[in-house]
Amino acid sequence: MAKQVPLEEGYMIIPENPDQPARLLGSYSKAANKHYFPIRKLCPITSEPVETVELSPEGVLFSWSFIMMPKMGSREKVAGYGVGQIDLPEGVRIQAPIDGKMGDWKIGMKMKLVPNPVVTEEDGTQYCGFKFVPVQEK
Amino acid sequence: MNRDVYVIGVGMHRFSKDYIPKRDLYFTAGMDALKDAGIKFRDIGALYNGYIGGGMTEGIGFAKDLGLTGVPVTHVENASATGSSAFREAVWAVSGGQCEVAMALGYDDMRLMGNPMSRTVPGKKKLPSMENIMLPAGFFAMWAQRRMHENGTTIETFAKVAAKNWNHGRHNPMSQRRADHEVTVEEVLAADMVAYPHTAMMACASGAGAACAIVATKEWAQKYANGRPIIKVLASQSQSEVYNDGHIFMGAVVGPSSSTELTGQAAYKEAGLGPKDIDFVHVHDAFPIEELMYYELLGFCGPGEGDRMLHDGETTLGGRVPFSPDGGLIARGHPGGPTGLAQVWDATRQLRGEQGKFQVEGARTGMVHMMGAGSICIVHILQRA
Repeated sequence: MAKQVPLEEGYMIIPENPDQPARLLGSYSKAANKHYFPIRKLCPITSEPVETVELSPEGVLFSWSFIMMPKMGSREKVAGYGVGQIDLPEGVRIQAPIDGKMGDWKIGMKMKLVPNPVVTEEDGTQYCGFKFVPVQEK
Repeated sequence: MNRDVYVIGVGMHRFSKDYIPKRDLYFTAGMDALKDAGIKFRDIGALYNGYIGGGMTEGIGFAKDLGLTGVPVTHVENASATGSSAFREAVWAVSGGQCEVAMALGYDDMRLMGNPMSRTVPGKKKLPSMENIMLPAGFFAMWAQRRMHENGTTIETFAKVAAKNWNHGRHNPMSQRRADHEVTVEEVLAADMVAYPHTAMMACASGAGAACAIVATKEWAQKYANGRPIIKVLASQSQSEVYNDGHIFMGAVVGPSSSTELTGQAAYKEAGLGPKDIDFVHVHDAFPIEELMYYELLGFCGPGEGDRMLHDGETTLGGRVPFSPDGGLIARGHPGGPTGLAQVWDATRQLRGEQGKFQVEGARTGMVHMMGAGSICIVHILQRA
């Protein structure tokens, strides 16, 4: 499997073992007992120090849309892509692309974080953002 | 405010989908406002330029077309709230005693801005930013989707907001979108989908334009009234975000609802009045979900009552409190830098009774509201003195 690395440091970890889930990195404020994403330099409520923590890889879909416009600064035609807001158990809401098509998503459904390759180097290394995919209920 | 401030002149270059040189946009709006005020550029004691795109000191360069007077010129940028921020700086320059007359001039072309989230790492392949994940259209669409889930709001209701604003914009000579017929809900729904549940006719018009406002002390306002009513700035409020549950820090283009609620409340308090005293409102209606939410967040109806308020016609021209009487961002347009100043242009002229076919009859007090990238909210209240 191609080597996957985050687009930027400090947002997520992608374990080399593909059986291990990718996780977002957030901040925990003991003073406010709150989690934040992405990492904060200080707690935005108390201005006290925060610690970096790994956030849960699964959450619940809060809202979604399907966008049929190119990204900002581009005018190229796109086939469309899903976007969602996912609430993680830590109380953090994440905005990200979501896999699927119209009709696939329901508010309240379980979603899982996965790396989202956006640029591939000549040596096969994939630079990744992140996205969420629906969890198939057993 | 330390001393009272009045709007003495407003001007615009029509918002347009044509590609117009920014220098021409700037000059037209500036000269139009100076003519409206009846003063010369040498009378301006402070100039605030509002633009989002554009290179270093671009606005100072354009200001040279108006004159070399030594006036201090400052560039202001706050995303969609750029023009509103420039206006607020001009208001405070006069209120604080820096000068007697100040100008705020906003211009832009939304289509030429490029990607504000792109990044180049020296020595590395150009990579997109981790935070560059989606368009503003996506954020607003998710807000709409959640409202449908929680309140049972229908797509037809969103279409009705858009149709209303398209029809308000029909008679505004500065409007980018001027339909030659009464726009229907069915027509709005039939347009291409851009971000479910929003169609292209629900999305704000993106183009080029410029708008300008000149503010001054009461003495100047009275001296240059020229038989017209003078327009007082009753409130000037701005707030950035406070923490809300589910707070989104990354790419927060919508921002927490509390921003509008808290800034609106502060503006009412400063003005010494409430929603029942407001005759018309301009908001950041980039998409219909926003206008619908702002009915409630600005206190014009209770939580969840926005749909009813719309369907009862209360926010249509002729209704209790028309929203976006000049067409709003949806029809008049949203070039970026000038948008908040276009609101001031319309509000001032509404309060003078100069807007003809889109005049809010008997308007005495108006509110203008803008959000900038979901992270800054600005509210002004203007009143015919």
